[in-house]
Amino acid sequence: MLALDSLSKHFGGVRAVDGISLTLKEGEIFGLIGPNGSGKSTTINLITGLYTPTTGTVRLDGRDLTAMAQHERTAMGVARTFQNIRLFGNLTVAENLWVAQNGHEQRRAHFLGRWFRAGGEHSPEIGELLKFSRLHSKRDVQASALSFGEMRRLEMARALASRPRVLLLDEPAAGASREDGQILAERIRETRDRGVTVLLIEHMMELVMGISDRVAVLNFGRKIAEGSPAEVQANADVRAAYLGSKHKDEELIHA
Amino acid sequence: MDYFLIIDFVQSLLDGLLFGTTYALIGIGFTLIFGVMRKLNLAYGAAALAGTYIGVAATFAFDAPPPVVFLLSALGSGAIGIVVYYCCFRFTPTHYPMASLLASVGMLLFIDEVVIHASHGMPLPYPSVFREATIELGDIWVRGDLLFVFFICVVAMAVLFWLLYRTPLGLATRAVSQQPRAAALCGIDPTRVNLLTFGLAGILGGIAGAMTAAAVGVLSPIIAMGLTVKGLIAVVIGGLGSIPGAIIGGLLVGAAENVFLMLRGVTERDIYVMLLLFLFLTLRPGGLFGSTAGRD
Amino acid sequence: MDFYLGLAQIFGVHTLLGLSAYVVLLTGQVSMAQAGFYAIGAYTAGAMTAMFGLHILPAIVIAGLVSAAIACIVGFPALRVKGLMLVVATLAFGEMVRLFFFNLTWQVERNGDRVGPNGAEGFRSIRYFPENGWEVWHVTVFIWFVVVVVMGALWWMDRTRAGAVLRAVGHDETAAQSIGLNLTAVKVGAMTAGGFIAGLGGGIYAHTVTHIEHGVFGVLLATFAIAYPILGGLGSVFGTLIAVLFIQGFLIEGLRFMGEWRSLLFGALIVLAMNLRPHGLLGEHAPRLKNLFGAGPARPSDPLSTKEAK
Repeated sequence: MLALDSLSKHFGGVRAVDGISLTLKEGEIFGLIGPNGSGKSTTINLITGLYTPTTGTVRLDGRDLTAMAQHERTAMGVARTFQNIRLFGNLTVAENLWVAQNGHEQRRAHFLGRWFRAGGEHSPEIGELLKFSRLHSKRDVQASALSFGEMRRLEMARALASRPRVLLLDEPAAGASREDGQILAERIRETRDRGVTVLLIEHMMELVMGISDRVAVLNFGRKIAEGSPAEVQANADVRAAYLGSKHKDEELIHA
Repeated sequence: MDYFLIIDFVQSLLDGLLFGTTYALIGIGFTLIFGVMRKLNLAYGAAALAGTYIGVAATFAFDAPPPVVFLLSALGSGAIGIVVYYCCFRFTPTHYPMASLLASVGMLLFIDEVVIHASHGMPLPYPSVFREATIELGDIWVRGDLLFVFFICVVAMAVLFWLLYRTPLGLATRAVSQQPRAAALCGIDPTRVNLLTFGLAGILGGIAGAMTAAAVGVLSPIIAMGLTVKGLIAVVIGGLGSIPGAIIGGLLVGAAENVFLMLRGVTERDIYVMLLLFLFLTLRPGGLFGSTAGRD
Repeated sequence: MDFYLGLAQIFGVHTLLGLSAYVVLLTGQVSMAQAGFYAIGAYTAGAMTAMFGLHILPAIVIAGLVSAAIACIVGFPALRVKGLMLVVATLAFGEMVRLFFFNLTWQVERNGDRVGPNGAEGFRSIRYFPENGWEVWHVTVFIWFVVVVVMGALWWMDRTRAGAVLRAVGHDETAAQSIGLNLTAVKVGAMTAGGFIAGLGGGIYAHTVTHIEHGVFGVLLATFAIAYPILGGLGSVFGTLIAVLFIQGFLIEGLRFMGEWRSLLFGALIVLAMNLRPHGLLGEHAPRLKNLFGAGPARPSDPLSTKEAK
């Protein structure tokens, strides 16, 4: 459904992303891994429209998103989280979800009803999202007062609030413990089971290899391998790439 | 086209470019402060003016000769710059730019009012140099006083470049403006760099104020607003954070201002200068030399 | 008595001015153009009544709409730049408007007199109130009626999704874009609303003083506009109101004995306040009313909005 076609992004002389092509299938969890600086986050930023690609296209169900503004892409069904969590700290937990209801059907609602009605943060849909992310008891707490783990959960719930078709997760387990990682894996699976396709960028190999249906590996902005977790782990190029960056090799083998 | 109109046009352009160096200096000052602090000091133009008044006070106190007046204007403005730093920037929260911005606006009003009270709002005579001298190039006259203004401003820029690119102090300043956290980790004290930058920018502002007053021959509180707005426009046109941009922007504003003065008269002049700003905002929001499209 | 009624009129128009900046500030934009929109409103409304003989109410509404339209047009180029650059752009716009009215001469013959803006002279005899026999307290009640309507509307807006969206954009533009908000639409929308309120305020101001001239609409007024909401705190509309009462009441009127030196205090007070309470008197996340009345975090104690809305 989501297809990247020879996507490139150059910053001056640096080729952060250099001709990546990927195709995500409906309802799968797709892992995108690679050493630091290999272009993973840049790829997400290109898909959501935060960056404009130097060359290449992004398509969703055959529709070209490349020229669309970010809010139009959200309406098409693309949602994301950030590596360094970006919540609206000045709003409550429920309000964070409320402002994010910008999906396709939500957009078609009556203008006045959509913008100028009070109390929408108590809607059943938001209540359900709060339950899903186990934040129900915190619904009226200022988002800036949450714990780190709660913030991560809220950010993922906020991404889901626009009823996306594809969810891009940028290192959702960064800074999380192993147990938290397992809980997160469960939540990602549940998300997939609701019919949302997931693109997962992650350093925690255990998580990626454990839940991904397919995995692609980036190095220096290029895709060096793609396949099932087992295939990728056996790939010689991948091992070489991770040997270049310390520590990672061990994780890869043990995972 | 009429020959005399062309001559008038070239003459206006030339005068404007020469005078534009004062805007360039102010623009550099804004840009320097923005560079190290990522903040806008709106009190800057007013501080420059106040410094110029300190120079004038010297003529009343002991009948100082013009060079001393100019020097005192520059130093006075530098000192006021440091005061502004302590009042508006040192103790306001770093991550809430609105606070320091509003504080600097408050400071602008405060300095303005102090100057108006101290001078009773009356314009004061300011020494100008080479007022009578002119160089004739065919039908174009180069005014001696404007040439002097140009010369002083260029020297000030040259000294600034020397400071920034040839001294340890300049190295520290550039380090802070590029990577504040890394610079702090390398043992550079950001407060000291900020202080020095405010002082340095203040001196540049004082020179600009002194030269503006010298070119006009009188000093009045109205100059502050002109310096602030035109200096800011120069910075926007050049690209916030870029010193060459500020220089080009300043010259452009000076030239445009004088040409519009010739074409549309003194009361409408500034409207067109501001339209020029909006043209730039629409077509090139990052400015001529801005790399990051106006993002701060 | 008339003195206090007059004072209440000043409070009223300045509250409108402050509220016009409040809406824009919620999106994190500092607009120094509010004095410009206020000026546009003042001249437009003045022209409507004094030159074309309209009733005051349609006159100020037209003034608001004209200001809003211009704010919307200015919003597009100005909001392409962010933060500090926007300050510069709006500052320049405000000055441009002032200079425009400095140069504007457009007079018509009415009842044997020539009325209308007359360049540096300003726009004299905007005498709708005295001509129609309004007494001072009529005018004061009228002004506060408008203020209450505008404040009520903004207070309501703050509780709707629109309010949350404005605050979200003000907090983090990148995140706001990533959740599908159209930044340009939100910011231009806020700017337009701010322009409308400033236009209303300016329109009323013109009629309370009967004579307006360009000098009034300078940087000082633009500073007042942003200073009220920032000093009061962006938590709610009441911060702006309290700041107006404090600055105009205490600083301008209460310290009359200080004579000319009072004007020094405004600048000094801003500097002091920003050092001591940078987030304003009532703070940034000031308690919205519900927390004042219904105690505790239990949200159902806020039945007004939820039930009425559904």
